[in-house]
Amino acid sequence: MPSGEVTRAIANVGAQHAAPLHQFTRALAALTLYVPVSAAAQEHRTRFDLAGQAVLVHRHHDPVPGGRALDETRIVQPVAVLRGTMAHGHLTLHVTANLEGLTILNGELTLGAWGEGFVDRRHPHTYVHELMIVARGTLGWATGLLGAGKGFVPFGTDDPMSRPPLSHPVNHHLSQILERAMIVAAVGTGPLLLEAAAFNGDEPTAPDAWPSLDRFGDSWAVRLTARPAALLEAQVSHAAVRSPEHVGGAGLDHAKWNWSLRCADARRYGLVEWARTSEGGGVFVFHSALVEAGLTRGRHGAYARFERTERPEEERIADFRSRRPLRDNAILGTSRWTLWTAGYRHRWSGPRESRVEPFVEVTLGRVTKVGGGVFDPKGYYGGSSFAAAAIGLRLSRGLEGHRMGRYAH
Amino acid sequence: MSRPHTTAFLTLALLGASCVDDDGNIPPPPDGLTLVREVPVVENYGIHDTYVRAGLAFVLAWNTGVLIYDVGNGIRGGTPENPGLVSSVPTTGGQAHNGWWFHNPNTSERTYFFVGQEGPGSIGSSSSGDIHVLDVSDLANPVEVAFFHIDGAGPHNFWMDESREILYAAYYNAGVVALDVSGTLSGDLATRELARFRPGGAGNTYTWSVQLSGGALYAIDMLSGLWRLTPDSTFAPVEGGGNVADRFSSDLWVHGSYAYSGTWGWFRRNGNSGNAAKVWRLDSGPAPVLVDSVIVSDVAAVSDVQVSDDGRLLVLSIEGFDSGGLFVYDLADPAHPVFLGAHAVATGLHTVTLATIGGRLYAFGARNPGGAALMIFDLTDVIP
Repeated sequence: MPSGEVTRAIANVGAQHAAPLHQFTRALAALTLYVPVSAAAQEHRTRFDLAGQAVLVHRHHDPVPGGRALDETRIVQPVAVLRGTMAHGHLTLHVTANLEGLTILNGELTLGAWGEGFVDRRHPHTYVHELMIVARGTLGWATGLLGAGKGFVPFGTDDPMSRPPLSHPVNHHLSQILERAMIVAAVGTGPLLLEAAAFNGDEPTAPDAWPSLDRFGDSWAVRLTARPAALLEAQVSHAAVRSPEHVGGAGLDHAKWNWSLRCADARRYGLVEWARTSEGGGVFVFHSALVEAGLTRGRHGAYARFERTERPEEERIADFRSRRPLRDNAILGTSRWTLWTAGYRHRWSGPRESRVEPFVEVTLGRVTKVGGGVFDPKGYYGGSSFAAAAIGLRLSRGLEGHRMGRYAH
Repeated sequence: MSRPHTTAFLTLALLGASCVDDDGNIPPPPDGLTLVREVPVVENYGIHDTYVRAGLAFVLAWNTGVLIYDVGNGIRGGTPENPGLVSSVPTTGGQAHNGWWFHNPNTSERTYFFVGQEGPGSIGSSSSGDIHVLDVSDLANPVEVAFFHIDGAGPHNFWMDESREILYAAYYNAGVVALDVSGTLSGDLATRELARFRPGGAGNTYTWSVQLSGGALYAIDMLSGLWRLTPDSTFAPVEGGGNVADRFSSDLWVHGSYAYSGTWGWFRRNGNSGNAAKVWRLDSGPAPVLVDSVIVSDVAAVSDVQVSDDGRLLVLSIEGFDSGGLFVYDLADPAHPVFLGAHAVATGLHTVTLATIGGRLYAFGARNPGGAALMIFDLTDVIP
């Protein structure tokens, strides 16, 4: 192993099992269109890297449903990431365990958050967040990729967990599709990359839920990415998702669009995003516009986000929970969330890419009602303006620059 | 702090911060109530309502369509204890919500079964879906033959003036719609519309249910309450309304001089969930007069209401926040129902329909997913 990789690797557990595993992965690679092993790949035999993070955060939100303020302390985003490289770089394994089902079973206080039966709290993700095996190679003028497993659909922007702000944006369910059983294929040439996937439309119903395999292939997505310059990335993507909110398939289908411009290096980060989801053939349409920026200087990092996103107001079973599965095709109305977020983090770096980052994050915003329906934000929250603050500590190893779910990168 | 076990320690230290709500507390069932049969329904999304007549139970099963069971008719030898499936038919667009089997007293025909499609909508302002007409003259092979559509609105519950061959449909934001269903029904029934009326006016109408009784047409509106209309081309004179300001209203049943209405509370109105059934006196004047409210603690919606033909029992289907069921009341004093007991259904009961079959009183309940099923109860021995 080159010495440069020593500092990157956190664990290398595969060497002793190289022979049988190598045969297995070579067999899988034979199923794809791959071609000659590049020189770089020759350097990478079988190896596994382990990374992870957890964030201890105290949040204060005012107001929450009912018009009161609420404080709570939680561990959020506790993930362990295993990345394997096999078959001389032709095969990669992406495994992410997410323990939010243990630490935030009832969700994380997050302004405007919704989805998977949660409202004003971000839902916990599934324990098996990602389990993908991906084969890659080159064929003449193009590079290719074929992957299968449970993971991130090639749609929209990076998972919020991979971005500077701690708080998930309101548009998470408009701009990402994840934790699906899928087959993904990609082909790239020059600055262009085209990805496509077939997957199950149903979203998870609990942290221990698995995708409905009988619904595999009822949904699809395609994303075209261009990198016209070294730091600049643009993408446009479309997805047709069948009944995501009713696992039995009786819910409304979603047609989703997303485009974005992203500029990032080790010190600078910027994202401009627009998203649109149409449900039930246009009966409900939700839009989102989002701008994020971040700057790192030495140990200091600052970031900001502006977001304006519309969300469905679903029938409530409690202050922070909505009915699942959705029935009667009814929602209470639509709300529009306009949020300004700013944060600062201080980074201490330890050995082997470990980091300790205390941070503080503030969000101010307001909600308005869009169109008709019985949902009344002023009555529900006791007002339409919001303030939220978060202070905490992020511990991480080996995740710097990791763009979760980007299998073609 | 960079050691891996630091993260693990902090993780473990805060485990257990979450909690799960307990199930609600449902009272015991009334003496004499017996669950005689559960018929599973494919959760697509499941069962929404049941229409029972002449020993046949028409199960409105959303995207599965309409399932016709013999529960005493004899066509399949079925009974409430052992229903026999006669046929099933998907309706165009799915979302089969409610129905009415038209027994035409003028022709003795039983040709048509009307299906309400509950399409997507925003509660209180918009809705969608059509009325679909099935020809069930051959019960084993129902065929969809006609439909009725209104732009920007969808139907909810039906009632019929069968002798006048008029279908009244609660039509959410379109209010109340009357259709001429005489003769042969085929294709688009747009020309059959007789009248349309929004009792609460624009922006204040979202009508859940209608019922003819005593020469009046009663309409319960989620936003504007209980109305008494006149069943003619203009629905005038109009009385009532504005009488349930504390909650959103749901279903309605009229029996004699009293009406009983439910409430809906999957979103609270004025801080109140849908935990009330309202009791109305109808003969105190032109407008309904509220005389009592039955409160069911800790539930989200009283989603369906019916009174037995003899007026002795009131049944409510209840959906809760982790509970629900079939609630039964004694109507010895029709102005003041007395609670007899409840059969708990953890996932909630969405609708309930009473029918007398073979001299016994049965309730057909629609159990929500997961575990969607037609639940059939014998209530004969509950009657005090």
